[in-house]
Amino acid sequence: MSTFEVARGSPRAGGARTLGLWVVLAALAAFVAFAAWREMRKAAPPLYAPATAQDFGERRPAQSAAEERFSQALWTIHADVRTAAVRMSFAGLTYKMGDGDRTSVASKVAPLMEVFRQAEAALLALDGPVSMQPTRSRYMAALALYRQASQEMIKVAQDGSDAHLLRAQEMSEQGSDILLEVGEQLWPGEIRPN
Amino acid sequence: MRQRVRKALVSAALAATAALGAGAAQAQNCSVWLVENSRFMGVPFGMFHPDRSFIQGSTDPKNNVNTVDLPVNVGVIKCGQELILYDNGWNQTDYHKATGTAHWSPLSQQIAQLGFKASDVSKIVLGHGHWDHAGSLDEFPNAMIYIQGEELRGIEWALNYPGHERIRATNVDKGGCNRTPACGYPPKTVDTIYSKVLRGKAVIVNGEMEISPGVKIHPAFRAHTAGSQLLEVPTSVGKLVFGSDAYSSWEAIRDWEVANVQQTDSVQQFLAYEKCYKITGGYQNCVAAHEPLSYSAKYPLTQNAWVGMNGARLAEIALAPGEPSRKK
Repeated sequence: MSTFEVARGSPRAGGARTLGLWVVLAALAAFVAFAAWREMRKAAPPLYAPATAQDFGERRPAQSAAEERFSQALWTIHADVRTAAVRMSFAGLTYKMGDGDRTSVASKVAPLMEVFRQAEAALLALDGPVSMQPTRSRYMAALALYRQASQEMIKVAQDGSDAHLLRAQEMSEQGSDILLEVGEQLWPGEIRPN
Repeated sequence: MRQRVRKALVSAALAATAALGAGAAQAQNCSVWLVENSRFMGVPFGMFHPDRSFIQGSTDPKNNVNTVDLPVNVGVIKCGQELILYDNGWNQTDYHKATGTAHWSPLSQQIAQLGFKASDVSKIVLGHGHWDHAGSLDEFPNAMIYIQGEELRGIEWALNYPGHERIRATNVDKGGCNRTPACGYPPKTVDTIYSKVLRGKAVIVNGEMEISPGVKIHPAFRAHTAGSQLLEVPTSVGKLVFGSDAYSSWEAIRDWEVANVQQTDSVQQFLAYEKCYKITGGYQNCVAAHEPLSYSAKYPLTQNAWVGMNGARLAEIALAPGEPSRKK
């Protein structure tokens, strides 16, 4: 039995169906009216129109899709590298403040050396356009400096000589300079007024 | 009996005079200037000072300003032969584009306009360790820095916090700190602070400390960052209190409103305001780090101002007896 046949079956059922149809139509009309009212509300000028964070600072020049993909992938690496770099400085800083002995420097820094090494491998494996090669090279140089700094810091556990920490700090600072340079190019919104 | 009382009174008066004299010998009046290290241009007012958020069409002067330009103020304090900086600005030019900055020059060149050499700076008090307040340390190799241990512990706490994306020490979101507990310390800034510690050029302060007669550090923990600190300075115009970003906005101190809420505990910020009221007797002598009205008559303490190199402004706030004006 088809639905159509049921509809034709009895006059009473037909009346109920007509009424149902009107109810559905009325509901639809109410829905459309509500949607139109909402849209009109959206279009009205907002009470608050504050400038946004994006309204200040220089905007990055437009990038191609491939450059954008590279930039986003590098950002993920960059996030880990930044944190590891700060951790490395703090390993030395807290040691100099008398928190922990020289072996604690090595135990804190050894895992960071691995972070820098993995970041180098990830960056090498990253697919990127030719236009991003200079950026990749600069970032690789920063990672190499951080890795070498971590290797140097670990040596303090052997002889306790601050000369290792001083050399490491200088390399680390050079690496941090490069991070700023790349950040300015790829992520101008990275740093905000504090 | 009467004679004995008179004798006692005379002795007491003499003792009081002597005590006052000794006090006067110990106290000193410092000379103070304010230097605009740079200016963040076009910052949405509400981002900086929430109670001043822009409302379109509003005629209320509190809410009809969309953006403001925020100076990055550094205090230059000369007490006797000692030259002290409160805060340190920044010198990483890579930040220029990132922050919409104008009128920046190296701080060492800016203080040269006042006739001071970078090598003259003996002490730098860091109101807190953020990059725009602790970012020129390498320009002042002779200076000893003063930073709260609590500031360093706060960063370390966030560094070691186990696994939550909002609890961290560095911003890993493009676009800023998003009010993470210990943000605003890029690797470069931490490197330069560490460099000072490593070279024996840092004093890790725990709480209050008098660093020169009458020049006192007061802790203001969590008033902006974990280890924010204020600096009380005696001058001919009364005591001043520098507040770094615990006092980002002078208008906010006046009106008891929060400002520059980044890692700020608002109650602690108000207590930092109260400290200035208590020490100076009001809000006029509270020295704010980013007050948009700086160097104008609307912020009277800083109105004796002039324009220096690259369009950045300077103000002469107070002169010690015998100190010549350095205003040009």
